[in-house]
Amino acid sequence: MPKPDPRGRAGAAALFILLLLLLAAAPSEAADTVSVDVGAVYASNEGTSIDPALATIRGKLHAMFNYTSYRMLARKRRSLSVGETGEFDLPDRRTMWATPLPAPGNKVRLSIRIDEGSRKLLTTTLGLRRGGMVLVGGPSHQAGVLILIISAE
Amino acid sequence: MTMNCVAALERIEAKADGLLPPEEEAALAGHLAVCPACSAEEAAISATGPLLRAVTGIRANEKTPAIDAMWTRVRAGIGEAREAPRRPLWAARWAWIPAAFALAVLALLFYPARTDRPPFHPRTFDVAVEDVESDVATVALVDKGEDLPRVIWIIEDAKT
Repeated sequence: MPKPDPRGRAGAAALFILLLLLLAAAPSEAADTVSVDVGAVYASNEGTSIDPALATIRGKLHAMFNYTSYRMLARKRRSLSVGETGEFDLPDRRTMWATPLPAPGNKVRLSIRIDEGSRKLLTTTLGLRRGGMVLVGGPSHQAGVLILIISAE
Repeated sequence: MTMNCVAALERIEAKADGLLPPEEEAALAGHLAVCPACSAEEAAISATGPLLRAVTGIRANEKTPAIDAMWTRVRAGIGEAREAPRRPLWAARWAWIPAAFALAVLALLFYPARTDRPPFHPRTFDVAVEDVESDVATVALVDKGEDLPRVIWIIEDAKT
């Protein structure tokens, strides 16, 4: 029985490590970009279901609000450079724009604007750490409300 | 010395094979001259030798291509036998390429896609609201502690 070629093994190991490095590097963002993740959640008292994507913050939601059902309607992530504005379509003709602003260290500053048709529903500037999360809620949707989960990486 | 027929037959066969010593040829010839039976036997054997050689030569010529083909096959077989041990080595040397490709495909397939809905994993709820305003709604800031996310709650005036 022929012995495995050690050069073949070494090549396979090298390629495997290279693939791991590529995969590990893929999700990371450059320091001058901000990955903005926006999830639009429909919160209501219709049923008691929780969207699996919200499983990790299920306790937080129940602690913050009195709704029994949370369903993710849409979710979008955009990688934005400082000064670059990203648009996020929301239910009920609402639109959100997010613009990263200059911030020191691992801080992220986001300029947020939410419009409902031609109405300016909200304008705010948030300062948070990378990996931080903030909720924006209240706009009505069907029998409940809309809660936006905004996180920045 | 007189040669009898038995001894004459031995020498006839030896002569046909080219093994008869020259000094005995005269004695054999003397016996053949006086013995018609041995003379006839000698004539038959002498005629058979060239005929056998001719037939053998023809057969040999007929079989030459077959023998050449056989040797070609034998040489090819030897060559294949020499090449055979190299194939597994060659395969083992390059087998990692399809294996690595398959691994890469699997990794890409099972790596969490950015377009799906992976769970949220917030690392902090430390958020500062620098400014907030609305043209059509009342906005409330809800802060229930560091372990809970900050909430900007929009109370739509026109709908309340």
